[in-house]
Amino acid sequence: MALSGIQIYKMLPQTNCKDCGYPTCLAFAMKLAAKQVELDLCPHVSEESKAQLAESATPPQRLITLKANGNEVKAGNEVVLFRHEKTYYNMPGLFVRIKDDLLADAIKEKVAAADTYSTNYVGIDLVLDGFAVEAVSGSSASFSAAVAAVRAASKKPVILIAQDAGVMAEGLKVLDGEAPLIFGAGAENWEAMADLATQYKAPLTVTGNTLDELADLVEKVKGKGIEDIVLAPATRSLHGELTTRVLIWRLAIKKNFRSLGYPVISVAGDAGDPAKEMVSAAQAISKYAGFVVIDSFAPDFVYPLIVLRQNIYTDPQKPIQVQPGLYEINNPKPTDPVLVTTNFSITYFSVANEIEGSGLPAWLLVADAEGMSVLTAWAAGKFDAERIAKSVKAFDVASKATNRTIVLPGHVAVLSGELEEELPDWNVRVGPREAVDIPAFMKQAMT
Amino acid sequence: MPVEIPKDKWNGQVRVVTLGATADQGGTRTSTVTVGGETTMPFMHFEGEIPHRPVIALEIKDRRPDDWSSLLLDLWSDKADDPAVWAKAAEEAGADLIQLSLSLTNADGNPTTPEAAVDAVKKVLAATGLPLLVFGPGQADVDNELLVAVAEATKGERLVLGICEDKNYRTIVATAMANDHLVIARCPMDVNLSKQLNILISDMGLPLDRVLMDPTTGALGYGIEYGFSVMERLRMAALQGDAMTQLPMIVTPGFEAWKTKESKVGVDVPESWGDWEQRAINWETITAVALLESGADILVLRHPESLKRVRAAIEDLMTAPETV
Amino acid sequence: MAEHTVKFDQASKPVKVPTGTLLSEAAEQAGISLTQPCGGQGRCGRCAVIVTEGTVRRRSTLRLSSEDVEAGYALACQSVVEGDICVTIPPQDKIERRLTSDRTVAQVKPPASYDASVHQSIRRYRLSLNPPTMDDQTDDWSRLQAALRNQSNIGAVQVSLKLLQKLGQVLRVGDWDATVILDSILWDCPDCPARLIDILPGHVADDVPLWGTAIDIGTTTVSLWLVDLLTGEVKSQVAEYNGQIARGEDVISRIIYASKDGKDTLRELVLETVNGLVETACRRAQILPESIVKTTVAGNSTMIHLLLGIPAESIRLSPFVPVVNHIPALIASEVGILINPEATVDCLPGIASYVGADISAGVLASGMSDTDKITLFLDVGTNGETVLGSSEWLVTCACSAGPAFEGAGMEHGMRATQGAIEEVWINGKTFESSYRVIGNVKPRGLCGSGLITLLAEMFLTGILDKSGKIKLDLNTPLVREGYHGPEYVIAPAEETGVGQDIVITNVDIDNLLRAKAAIYAGFTVLADSVGVPMEAIEQVLIGGSFGKYINVEKAVQIGLLPDMNWDRFQFLGNTSVKGAYLALLDHTLRTKIKSIAAKMTYIELSADNTFFDAFMSALFLPHTDITCFPSVEAAMLTKD
Ligand code: SF4
Ligand code: FES
Repeated sequence: MALSGIQIYKMLPQTNCKDCGYPTCLAFAMKLAAKQVELDLCPHVSEESKAQLAESATPPQRLITLKANGNEVKAGNEVVLFRHEKTYYNMPGLFVRIKDDLLADAIKEKVAAADTYSTNYVGIDLVLDGFAVEAVSGSSASFSAAVAAVRAASKKPVILIAQDAGVMAEGLKVLDGEAPLIFGAGAENWEAMADLATQYKAPLTVTGNTLDELADLVEKVKGKGIEDIVLAPATRSLHGELTTRVLIWRLAIKKNFRSLGYPVISVAGDAGDPAKEMVSAAQAISKYAGFVVIDSFAPDFVYPLIVLRQNIYTDPQKPIQVQPGLYEINNPKPTDPVLVTTNFSITYFSVANEIEGSGLPAWLLVADAEGMSVLTAWAAGKFDAERIAKSVKAFDVASKATNRTIVLPGHVAVLSGELEEELPDWNVRVGPREAVDIPAFMKQAMT
Repeated sequence: MPVEIPKDKWNGQVRVVTLGATADQGGTRTSTVTVGGETTMPFMHFEGEIPHRPVIALEIKDRRPDDWSSLLLDLWSDKADDPAVWAKAAEEAGADLIQLSLSLTNADGNPTTPEAAVDAVKKVLAATGLPLLVFGPGQADVDNELLVAVAEATKGERLVLGICEDKNYRTIVATAMANDHLVIARCPMDVNLSKQLNILISDMGLPLDRVLMDPTTGALGYGIEYGFSVMERLRMAALQGDAMTQLPMIVTPGFEAWKTKESKVGVDVPESWGDWEQRAINWETITAVALLESGADILVLRHPESLKRVRAAIEDLMTAPETV
Repeated sequence: MAEHTVKFDQASKPVKVPTGTLLSEAAEQAGISLTQPCGGQGRCGRCAVIVTEGTVRRRSTLRLSSEDVEAGYALACQSVVEGDICVTIPPQDKIERRLTSDRTVAQVKPPASYDASVHQSIRRYRLSLNPPTMDDQTDDWSRLQAALRNQSNIGAVQVSLKLLQKLGQVLRVGDWDATVILDSILWDCPDCPARLIDILPGHVADDVPLWGTAIDIGTTTVSLWLVDLLTGEVKSQVAEYNGQIARGEDVISRIIYASKDGKDTLRELVLETVNGLVETACRRAQILPESIVKTTVAGNSTMIHLLLGIPAESIRLSPFVPVVNHIPALIASEVGILINPEATVDCLPGIASYVGADISAGVLASGMSDTDKITLFLDVGTNGETVLGSSEWLVTCACSAGPAFEGAGMEHGMRATQGAIEEVWINGKTFESSYRVIGNVKPRGLCGSGLITLLAEMFLTGILDKSGKIKLDLNTPLVREGYHGPEYVIAPAEETGVGQDIVITNVDIDNLLRAKAAIYAGFTVLADSVGVPMEAIEQVLIGGSFGKYINVEKAVQIGLLPDMNWDRFQFLGNTSVKGAYLALLDHTLRTKIKSIAAKMTYIELSADNTFFDAFMSALFLPHTDITCFPSVEAAMLTKD
């Protein structure tokens, strides 16, 4: 059970000595409660408190990291069921499945394309995380050849899928020293797979048809000394997968049920056709998968998924922001005015809606104010004449709105003088304080 | 090792809302659509009731739209020239409901008149027996003018009138009350604002089982995460017993997705975006699926292929798992 | 139908009325006009009468306590005659007192244990020096020091040039009898020698007061108490709007103004206000400003920075760090306060950029740092500072509420002084208002308490919808479209002392709503951040520059204060100046403020979305989540 700041505070020395770098013990306790700092920053905690606090600090869901050649994919360590309760931390890794019945050249081609795939979304380069090589041929030679082909074409982390421990062993040999994810242990083969996991210090998936089976097998595998486990429920329907993952997360996070306190892998590629696969992968991303294996790899398939993942794993505690830029509302012409606001989403939406509702065309310049509302941003020095002028230049507003009339929010009327200095050839106007009054203002003052 | 299934105990229930009225009920629809009634989070069949499956509406317009993607216009081709034909085609494509969005102006650029709006609505009502949602063009005064006319001309149909916003709800709510229709309460991605608008509408005297709420969702890549979380929060509040959030949620992934550059634009886009048509359909589908997972009861789409995919997902998700 | 006799003490003859007649109707028949400010809706409680004989059926006792009912009280507008009865109508002020007993303002009384010779750092000593002779040519200063050492047991003393300049003359005028005033306990340097503040010729009698002032510099209002340091008595309390207001209503505007060459202007403006108050207070007490030898100053960090001419820019910019929280002892001449130039100026310590000395002083005055009870302390002012905790721990935050509750920035807002409407009732049928004005004169505007009751009344009578919009379709000329949009008329021009209608506009209401939402959100988020549920809060202490009281019930109805038992609320008035006063008297309390400041943990509300969310939720009447306000929900139901 997570402790509150006050509960932790009661275990601290309460001397407010500031040695931890925080002004008071309570301030430090609250950071601890939020899991933003480590306890050892306070040199004065008693051993007893240390023990108690360590217990509450163990994450309910184990962190699993797949590494290869400096590339890393993490899953687990999540602490909430719904993103609004705090945030989700580790984006599910997207792995492209390669079956070993493919010819080496075909493998290399597919892998190379996926390996270099990168797309830019709101200034961030998004990529795929790795490959899952599956033994479908039944031959260890084909499997090891396929693994080698994948490794030759990409340095990203790998998941090895095979039922047969002997086949798996061959694949592991190719990746010696890498610790790929072994997929995996089932009711029949778990001992052999666990041995391999031990031998290669690699994480292991555990499969089961029901939660009972999963938990049983986890305990068995744990009994063999395996700590790094990924759950691979055998269900393949949307409803089955959803229910299973919801329950696994609930048990781990709310009940602290250790036997299922691991991330879950979803093989969306098993869904059948690409249309179904896409839906399955989308569900896996929005609902609790730690690793997602896809078969289809077309940019129009990958791009939406990778964006969805980015969206769902955005920290909702951060102020909701929109992209700074010059927005067109009601098809503005160069002669139409430019209204300025900040990139705080609520601010942006209320302003944009009002302009839209007025039916009058306008340009809406959204300045980067670090996601703060007009007044807050102004107070913190993030929305001043200089910044507005910078946005005007950055988004080349002058070339689009050649009339050069710019309207400031009424709340920052004080900036008008400075803005005139910053933008000497612009006509600076002061608009209303509240968005509601924009239509009236536009009708009266701007036409 | 038997694992004890952790069930959440909810004491609230989403209201059951019925759209459309048959002849017996004072309308002309051949069938009605009922949504809501959930007593658990989306598709958690093992712990609560989900008596009505989420439904899909297809959006059509009163005339060929100027601002829709050519992918959609090519697809509907000349059916888009006549709302009656279009509505019929949408029904054939598998829609549970039709959303008719009124245009701000007619093809000549003159403002849409109330008569024209009524005419379009009547045509659609004649062409299909499905329940109908009618959206104004989105400008307060025009919406009020057109929707009041439509509402009066179709008294008793239990149409869904879209949309009420905090700045403009009184007129639409009043006409819905007077003419036996439903309304949509729309708020910009904020739990509190949604709830506040529902309270204000209910304070006017419209029974809440005639209100749907649209939390505004954004599209994939354009703020869908806010919509996603706002919907989860609203649904949780509803299940916790907060009467003012116990309304079925309507979302418009078609509108949201098809205004993104990803769907609208086929040329001069990065190669990493892939095939235009597939991407556009995927965009709409994923937007819809994410909203489905977060609690949507009515999804308004634009492309029949997206409809097919989302429909398949709903069917799968409405199956209760045998074992967990 | 049966008839009953109703006898009013105040009426000459009893009246006969049928069963079911309202007491108020019976009174009317008897020729007695009862005040019914709420229009007989059982909301205001001002029509309370006492049934001395017989019984009545009370439809609603919403405004009466069970003791009241026991004592025979009944609301005339809500009680039905069902038998013969005798009724007496209590004088208005009796009702008022009963209703206002929950909003007591503690009288300023010096702490009972106050002993100037123990607690006061300023000491006055009468010395008799040996006149110099040809044999004893010791210089004057050494002579004085020797006398201090021998007669008063004071070791080393610091002295300024100014005092040395007048030393010789003072000693001679007094014929070698002199009275010295020393600051003997320098709190910021306990081992330093005492400092000489003044030297006066001759022996000042013991009963001559020794003067000090406690000053609170608020963003909107500056308050000053003139205190006799020997007895601890407060001789005069004065307050005035901060002269800086003209350069910006909130701290941010001030900081920005200061950073653009306005630093000196702002400093001069606030000094003008302070010095004006010094003058007024001195005039009232008939003393000279020079006789004030010590002052403590509380105020938010920005105000203190601006008073001292310290650049305040870093306060508003991330990571929000003031230049100084703990200011060393200063003297009046360098600060610019026109009292004794050598007087000690002690600026109390602040906690963070947005939680200043006004709050550390307030916490001291509130006593919350001495109690085991979990206490919420709210400063209902421009910066909406909030403190939660007990003797064990304290957390604090600030949320910019704006000056609405101080009456500033409102169409007809004013401070709680003569002419301010401090309580309003609205008749639910006619929408006409009745009100009480401070000083019983014609109204000139509305003060904070008046605004709170007005907002609550407008909400309960349905003039406002829950989002705070004035409904224009009410069919009364009192609600109208004004120059700034919809507005409601509280007092028509002819009733007022300002020659124009006193109104409240929708813009004003939005401001009030935002202010109350910010304050409510502030303390809910604060409590949440330390995991303290609202129910766990055992007392709520309210500070702020309201007039004599704040109507707790109304403040709950608008969602400014949490909905809990009224007996948990206590209104403390201006706690900042009170804390400054305590620190002025007692150096141990001064030390305590320092430790309070060190102990308080500041929570930055803007760190994530939680505050914004809570704010949006509170931006409704009374709140988006009505389950947080069960008593208001009940009141709304009885209204219908
Ligand atoms: S170092 Fe430890 S004792 Fe010192 S303030 Fe930090 S938490 Fe408290
Ligand atoms: S309570 Fe009776 S008149 Fe107000």
